[in-house]
Amino acid sequence: MALRAARWGWSRAGWQRLALVLLWLGHGAWVILGSKPGRHWTNVADVVSRPSQGLASRWAAWRTARRDAGRTLAETRAENVRLSAELAQLKTQAAQEAPRLAEADEAVRLLGLKRQIPLELKSARVIFSTRPATFGGLILDRGLDLGLLPDQGVIVPEGIVGRLWSVNATQSKVLPADAPNASVGVMLMRSRATGVLQGLGSGRALIRYVSNQEVVQVGEAVLTSGLDRVFSRGLLVGYVAEVAQGDLELRVIVNLAAPLDRVNTVLLLPPQPPLEVQPPFVPVDQKPQKKKGTP
Amino acid sequence: MRIAPPTLTRQNLVCAVALGLIFLSAPFPRLQLVLHAMLVIALAPRAGVPLMGALWALAAGWTMEGSLRLYPHLGGTPWADMSLALLAGWMAGRWPLEGLKGWLARLAALSLLHAILVHLAVRLATAPHPWGWGWFWVLLTTPLWGWAAWRLLHPGAGSGRR
Repeated sequence: MALRAARWGWSRAGWQRLALVLLWLGHGAWVILGSKPGRHWTNVADVVSRPSQGLASRWAAWRTARRDAGRTLAETRAENVRLSAELAQLKTQAAQEAPRLAEADEAVRLLGLKRQIPLELKSARVIFSTRPATFGGLILDRGLDLGLLPDQGVIVPEGIVGRLWSVNATQSKVLPADAPNASVGVMLMRSRATGVLQGLGSGRALIRYVSNQEVVQVGEAVLTSGLDRVFSRGLLVGYVAEVAQGDLELRVIVNLAAPLDRVNTVLLLPPQPPLEVQPPFVPVDQKPQKKKGTP
Repeated sequence: MRIAPPTLTRQNLVCAVALGLIFLSAPFPRLQLVLHAMLVIALAPRAGVPLMGALWALAAGWTMEGSLRLYPHLGGTPWADMSLALLAGWMAGRWPLEGLKGWLARLAALSLLHAILVHLAVRLATAPHPWGWGWFWVLLTTPLWGWAAWRLLHPGAGSGRR
């Protein structure tokens, strides 16, 4: 066996066979590798470098994730800026619409008051206020065109405002209840003591002609007495702020309930309203009873 | 009666002439194909000397492919030629020649096998390509070039008829 291998390897025929085999295999490899032998080496290199490629792809993925995170942060900041701008715009819009909303709320409250008082109330809008001036008042946008007359009571849901002082064709002037020359017949809610309210300005008024014998508490509600025939009985005027003993009568200071400086819309009582105003009678809705035997 | 093989010098000389003709017949592809098949199948193979036949077949294949233009990857034809020359040489040793008729039949079979091998090898080396009609011309002219090869290699053998 060893002799045969040695003879095959060193004899001339053996060398020829070896050359022939190498020649045939070399040509075959050359043919099989084809026109692009580089791709085989590329495949081998791909297999060999697969671990490093995996690491590189993970590294690239990590960098991409970090870049995406940064982009997300930038987008978040941009969104914050956009939301801030939108918030500012909404605030501006809300501020612009606030007066209308307040007016709408006031209109709703006026409507509620109108339903509570079973009188023919008329509404008007305050177009100007001269209250800061001496003997100032409120100017309404309606006058004789709405059938208004002087000395009609003016109220808002919070309480009374005053009375009509003068009326012209299209406008009228309101004498507020805190005016020095204004007077309103009032009564204290708890003691039912009556008096006359005289204005002191700045939303304050003084009740006169209340006896020293009466017991008045601070915070007590003050209502209209209806005796002046301008307001009906029971409308809220304000709340007692101070009570002091005088020589003959109590000195009762009242904070008016109606915000006279912020009134936009008012209701006007009819001229010389009835003394007592009964709450409206709202009948209970009753289902129609079916007669027996009817379908 | 077995036909005596030609002398090595004569065979090499004939192969060299055939190789030159292959190179020179490049402008005439059909003639070149026939000469190419003649050298690979008939002239180069020799029993007991496979390396010589393989080298002549390789030379024929490279000359053939080298004379073509715009060939994507050379090597398929030489490889097929070498394989077929080795097979033909082995057949010459296994089944010695006994006459022209058997010689021509063997050449016809080998020419078909040669066409198939060349096509497959070139397909491996490059890409799928049309078969063409070269194999047909080679097969059709087998008696002609087979007889010529017989006369060149065995001038004293006659037609082989008894």
